[in-house]
Amino acid sequence: MSDALSFEDIELGDELAVVHPDVSMANVKKFCGAAKHSFERFIDHDAARAEGFPGAIVPGIMSQGLLASMIHRWAPGCTIKSIDTVFRGSLLVDSQITMTGAVTDTDESERRIELDLTILAEDGRTGVIGTATVEFPV
Amino acid sequence: MLLDLHTHSVKSDDGRAKVENYCKWIRKKELPLDGFVLTEHRQFDASSDYRHLEDEYDLLILKASEVETDFGHVLVFGVNDDLLAALDFSDIRLPIDAVLSEAERCGAFAAPCHPGRKRVGLFSHYEEQGIVDGVHTVEVLNGGSIPGEDEWSLQRAEDLGYRGFGGSDSHVVSRIGLCATEFPNEVITSVDDLVDALTIGNFQPISLRPETEIN
Repeated sequence: MSDALSFEDIELGDELAVVHPDVSMANVKKFCGAAKHSFERFIDHDAARAEGFPGAIVPGIMSQGLLASMIHRWAPGCTIKSIDTVFRGSLLVDSQITMTGAVTDTDESERRIELDLTILAEDGRTGVIGTATVEFPV
Repeated sequence: MLLDLHTHSVKSDDGRAKVENYCKWIRKKELPLDGFVLTEHRQFDASSDYRHLEDEYDLLILKASEVETDFGHVLVFGVNDDLLAALDFSDIRLPIDAVLSEAERCGAFAAPCHPGRKRVGLFSHYEEQGIVDGVHTVEVLNGGSIPGEDEWSLQRAEDLGYRGFGGSDSHVVSRIGLCATEFPNEVITSVDDLVDALTIGNFQPISLRPETEIN
């Protein structure tokens, strides 16, 4: 019997467990290599500073992937029907970032929920906000 | 009354909150808000009608604007046709003098928001360009502030004799109500009432951030 979260377990207002994903340089380099997304601003602090950033920044597609992984960790077996992110500020490689999520709507007929998603930078700035629509199996 | 004076919905380019979901969240979380004001970026949303949501959720939902000026972002309450004719709300470098004076002329109320924020806040511009005449009220508590920003806003506002209010600056549902404004002994049922209450000045900023909140 599966312990996976089901639609019936979920209420509007539920909050996902806070996650501090690994955005170390080693991990970001691994991601960039796998995604063929190896721009210097993501994998070289000095190069990023030369572009005006405080240091190397976490790629936006990695941030979105990390948010998706948070959702699946919370509700294994669910299907992310859509995920929509807004990048409001840079997230630095080798910093501690904080991901949060919350259930903001539920649709019983479709077995879907809407989630708020947020990634905060180490200094508390909002780096990414977004929403996701998630569907649960019967 | 307790109102969140600074929120964004999906009508803003970077907003991802549906207005009804704000209402559901407020009621589900039992937030002490009596209502909120939608302050969409660089526009006034004249067409949306939220009266059915006001009735269903017993919340006041008002509409205002957040415009961008040469001294940072400014909230404008009581937007009307005269003000929309006088200012191009889509201009990202509106002269703040014009925003303040035209708002007053048209019976609206303009107040800079997140003044302690770099680049988009009034006080960071004061450091470089000097003080603007005509500012009397600023948002001293903003739900999107990082540690230190609101403290600086509060201190500078006090030094300059400005009144202060609060707003969440929410762009997603779960951020509404982090900061708000209390109007003791006021009954506000319309945007005109809000402009009157802000003009009278009997209000105070309130923080409703949970203790674990980072910013």
